[in-house]
Amino acid sequence: MRRSAMKRSAIGSSAALASMAVLTSLMIPLRSHLSIATTALILVVPVVIGVVIGGFVAGATSVVAGFLVYDFFFIPPYLTLWVGAPQNWAALGVYAVVMLPVARVVDRMNVARANERRYGKEIRELFELSDLLVEDQPLDVLLTVIVTTLADTFGSRQVALFLPEDDRLELAASAGEPLSEDDLQRILPADGAAFSLDSHSFERNELLVLALAAAGRPIGLLVLSAEAAARHEREPLLLFVNQIALAVERTQLRDEVLQARLTEEVARLAKTLVGAVSHDLRAPLASIKASSSLLSDGDLDIDLDARQSLATTIDVQADHLAALVQNLLDMSRIQAGVLTPRLSIVSPADLVSTVRDDVTPLLGNHPLVVDVPPDLPPVDIDEVLMSRVLTNLLQNAIRHGPKGSQVAISAHVASGETIELSVTDHGPGVRPDRRKEIFQLFARRDEDAGAGLGLTIARTFVEAHGQRIWVEDAPDGGARFCVTLPVAPSIPEEAPVGADSRH
Amino acid sequence: MAQILVIDDDPSLLGVCKVGLEALGHEVRTAETANEGLIEAATRTPEVIVLDLGLPDLDGLEVCKRIRSWSDVPIIVLSADGSEDRKVESLDHGADDYVTKPFGMRELDARLRVALRHRPDEDDHQVELDVGPLHLDLVHCQATLRNKAVDLTPKEFDFLAYLARNVGKVCTRRMILEHVWGPNHVNELHYLKVYAYRIRRKLGDQQGQLLQSDPTVGYRLVAPGD
Repeated sequence: MRRSAMKRSAIGSSAALASMAVLTSLMIPLRSHLSIATTALILVVPVVIGVVIGGFVAGATSVVAGFLVYDFFFIPPYLTLWVGAPQNWAALGVYAVVMLPVARVVDRMNVARANERRYGKEIRELFELSDLLVEDQPLDVLLTVIVTTLADTFGSRQVALFLPEDDRLELAASAGEPLSEDDLQRILPADGAAFSLDSHSFERNELLVLALAAAGRPIGLLVLSAEAAARHEREPLLLFVNQIALAVERTQLRDEVLQARLTEEVARLAKTLVGAVSHDLRAPLASIKASSSLLSDGDLDIDLDARQSLATTIDVQADHLAALVQNLLDMSRIQAGVLTPRLSIVSPADLVSTVRDDVTPLLGNHPLVVDVPPDLPPVDIDEVLMSRVLTNLLQNAIRHGPKGSQVAISAHVASGETIELSVTDHGPGVRPDRRKEIFQLFARRDEDAGAGLGLTIARTFVEAHGQRIWVEDAPDGGARFCVTLPVAPSIPEEAPVGADSRH
Repeated sequence: MAQILVIDDDPSLLGVCKVGLEALGHEVRTAETANEGLIEAATRTPEVIVLDLGLPDLDGLEVCKRIRSWSDVPIIVLSADGSEDRKVESLDHGADDYVTKPFGMRELDARLRVALRHRPDEDDHQVELDVGPLHLDLVHCQATLRNKAVDLTPKEFDFLAYLARNVGKVCTRRMILEHVWGPNHVNELHYLKVYAYRIRRKLGDQQGQLLQSDPTVGYRLVAPGD
């Protein structure tokens, strides 16, 4: 501050001296025509310039210089400091006596205007800050905005904001130089001692410490280095401390509410998962247990065909269980974020025929119609993941189609780069407003108690390939689930090892 | 040989029940939906109905209520573990018993036989009840166990008599409180624990083999060997 004042003063003095030199050199040729009083009036100009630019010291310097120049160049005999006639003495005296107060008055006005401008700027910045305070932002963003704005507005070297955490005050945000360990020790209570925010604001070792409180409740502690605490800046600062406290409290309360809602939502989701998964696990388990209890009962007379059908039930239902467990494992794999497709080139017909073999036992009395031309171009996919997608879509179709209704798989080239694979059922279809949400976790029809993991997994796997999955109405009723598969980039075939390379 | 109707939306479980219950000597009809089941129940008049609570077209509880509106046929509810509320609700709405999935076929058969043996019309207006070694004289409010008098308070006797009238069948806490203590006491669940404890002591049944409790559902009186 001091250095910049000296610099300003030097610049002011130089400007005054320069303008004085210019005016003097202009006036010297004319001095026989100018009265001594006119010359004195003109020499007021450099003094005012000096004061305006450099403040009172520069003004005083230019008064002294003006005095000497006036005497040396304009009061006869010229080019001496000798003052001849008594009225010349009077002129010189009046110049000196008038100019000093003029310099003082101009300087005061100048300082007042600068103060006003700075005050206005502060108010404007604080007003902008108050706008920021009422915006809906996360707590950490809010705190950063507060400290940086305070540092800018008050030109403070250090600004730090402390919030209570587990009975201790922790640094929550800071701007400028970090506070030293010594400073921290002076501000904060010793380790272990319970902090108290009741203490009034105080100033210590060039640090201004302000307690933030909202409606009498302690919120935190604001620390500014003391150059921000010059008397005339305190008022807007103190005014603002209250607003900051309110804003911080409001944001903290909002975050608490959000946290509580989140916890509630997680608990609800967990409950849904447990309910849905336990239903899905129990249905096959009930059939298996009932069948096995009969088969292991030696006293019962069950004919061979019935025994065979019980054994088949166990086999099929165990597959259902295995599929569900597989889905749960897939889910956890997705959630662990370890899902990277291992791409290889597969013919769509081969993919479908593998899946077809897997789902045959699950089909029951649903006829499966496959329309996948063997000459479709090969696709670049993770065969395991895409098989799961197709299996899940087929299981979904079997579950929702009425007894004995047909399930169809078909594929065709949709564009140069993709093949569209679809699974069509004759179930009730999917209402347009539900077409997005059925792919979400635990979405399912109201009357259907299953976990609804299958479509979520299908979507996740398809998206891991950067492809699309969607559902539309099938032309003759029911739902059609479509998946795009990327066509493998074709590499021109090499010429067969021909006769020309052989000798 | 009894005619049994099984209503469940899982065709594979229906298949197993049919095979198993037929092997155990019953005649079995099955229904996959509530509507099918209601039609079967109305037209074939089965002797017992086994009803799953989670049906696709209509809530099992509603099926229970509708059947009760015209028939006293015993209903055994198939319920998933963890749906205690619905189990109790269905018993309150007229179901006679429940079996929790997954179940063994012998367990279901045992419940079916109990339900068949104690059809409601048989028990009406009886003046004396026998449950294994226990004899209740409803006229004089006297209980004897292996021909020795048991000293019961009036409420203890009412509690026991209510269970004896529904022997083998689970009675929900609400049903017991309503019948023994009156409709204003249906929430005084702690009465039941205390009375069950006292009755068991007086009957020398500390293990709860005669007076069985079904946690979170209610109590049932079971003749040994049932």
